Amino acid sequence: MIRFSNVTKAYSKDTVALERLNLEIDQGEFVFLVGASGSGKSTMVRLILKEMEPSAGAIFVNGTKLSSVPRRRIPQLRRGIGCVFQDFKLLPNKTAAENVAYAMEVTGQRRRVIKTKVPQIMDLVGLSSKMDKFPEMLSGGEQQRVSIARAFVSQPPILVADEPTGNLDPNTSVGIMQLLHRINRTGTTVVVATHDREMVDVMRKRVVALDEGRIVRDKVKGAYADEV
Amino acid sequence: MRFNLGFFLAEAFKNIRLNLLMSITAVTTTFICILVLGVGLLVSSHVEGIIGSVREDVSVEVFMPGRGEEEMAALEEKAGSWEEVASVDRVSEDEALASFKDTFEEQPDLYENLDSGVLPASLQIQLTDPDLANSVAGKLKAEGYDEENLSYPQQTIERLNSVTSYMIWGLYAATILFLIASVLLISNAIRLSIFARRKEIEVMKLVGATDGFVRTPFVFEGLIQGLLGAGLAALTVIWLNFLFVDWSRQELTFVPIDGDAVNTASVLVILVVVGVAIGVGGSFLSVTRFLRKI
Ligand SMILES: Nc1ncnc2c1ncn2[C@@H]1O[C@H](COP(=O)(O)OP(=O)(O)OP(=O)(O)O)[C@@H](O)[C@H]1O
Ligand SMILES: [Mg+2]
Repeated sequence: MIRFSNVTKAYSKDTVALERLNLEIDQGEFVFLVGASGSGKSTMVRLILKEMEPSAGAIFVNGTKLSSVPRRRIPQLRRGIGCVFQDFKLLPNKTAAENVAYAMEVTGQRRRVIKTKVPQIMDLVGLSSKMDKFPEMLSGGEQQRVSIARAFVSQPPILVADEPTGNLDPNTSVGIMQLLHRINRTGTTVVVATHDREMVDVMRKRVVALDEGRIVRDKVKGAYADEV
Repeated sequence: MRFNLGFFLAEAFKNIRLNLLMSITAVTTTFICILVLGVGLLVSSHVEGIIGSVREDVSVEVFMPGRGEEEMAALEEKAGSWEEVASVDRVSEDEALASFKDTFEEQPDLYENLDSGVLPASLQIQLTDPDLANSVAGKLKAEGYDEENLSYPQQTIERLNSVTSYMIWGLYAATILFLIASVLLISNAIRLSIFARRKEIEVMKLVGATDGFVRTPFVFEGLIQGLLGAGLAALTVIWLNFLFVDWSRQELTFVPIDGDAVNTASVLVILVVVGVAIGVGGSFLSVTRFLRKI
């Protein structure tokens, strides 16, 4: 589903964020990317979204080599990858429901389909009562649920999240993780970059640990740190 | 992909409402620029109209100050025999004064102290075709009548041109400057509003919006602003023309100004098209340039 093959990403001569990294993630997996600050987690996420190109090596998403995707095909690529960020990245001038609808509008979905789908997904994330609220009127956890709803509304095969609970308190974080877990159970491949030690330990999913741009540990049903 | 006009229009109107100050600036700039362009069009149309009607004038006048009765009769006969000439009328000094009084009836101080004899007697030569005026003037000069004692359309046209050409060039220059300034101002206003919304645009791109999808509401925004600014300016120009023609009918009776010299419909279309082109082109280019960078 997602494959990193010998990927190196150097932002400049001295900042090498990823070094000859190999990783394969299968369809339907739930993978945590963990590691100290600056270890290269966000860099991996941005490479998957083709926000930038690797310095060397190749990345495959859904069997497509990203470097062979031309600029004008990037939108199609991204429609197959839902993304969730620490800072939510909601459109401030749109209500919660409009934010979710926007992800469907960009793909040219019919109004009728959008009208039925958006309330369903808002219900799924538990925000049926806040559809018409603007992001600034929502709590951080609520905003993150809106952004997850937006990422998932078109049911993309892959969902990537970069520190989705980074700005949230532990209880709220549990709710967000449960949501991601439910999405994973529908068959969606989920990749979560996180610092959230407790969460990783509780979920018992595959854990890929990075250190200075290299994979130092890759464990099915792993924990945040090495278990003794 | 379906083109969702309703969605894009709604987005454009929402953006205009949310960035009202920026929109007003863009509309005002377009308005001023198109107004200047429109006034330029008006002036040149009227000048052309006047020149056209002067050209239609089929007479050449020969003033004959201090020439005797016989000389006038001789020239009258001679000119009457030229094939370009339809008829020749003699205007005596008294008749000249009477007609002058007639023209300036409302300004008696102009002629109160004039005696017969101040205005010279003349011959009015009617031509068969206005295009022949220059050749008749040439023949008269060959007869010994110099330029100052002749009055024929070409002189008027040259005098008109020397006065108005500076004015028209000035107007054209001003219009071009205003066009450039307004394109700069408008694209700057758009750039600012894009910059203010760069985070939003990045988010749109992240959730899979194509460049075209991001750009279209901005282009509609430019279109609406251009249409509004240029539309108001075009209506103002037409109103100004109406006022001017009306005023000139009463105050400039001796200048052949014609309301028909200005084709209202085409002025309206030209101005609105230019305004819309500026708005649409400006937003399209600014957004495209921004999208290339992300
Ligand atoms: N845009 C950039 N320009 C230059 N260097 C960058 C850029 N983004 C990241 N880096 C560098 O690349 C390395 C990896 O950064 P990355 O953001 O991938 O780390 P991370 O694991 O996400 O860290 P954190 O947990 O703090 O988010 C760091 O050394 C960082 O300084
Ligand atoms: Mg990071």
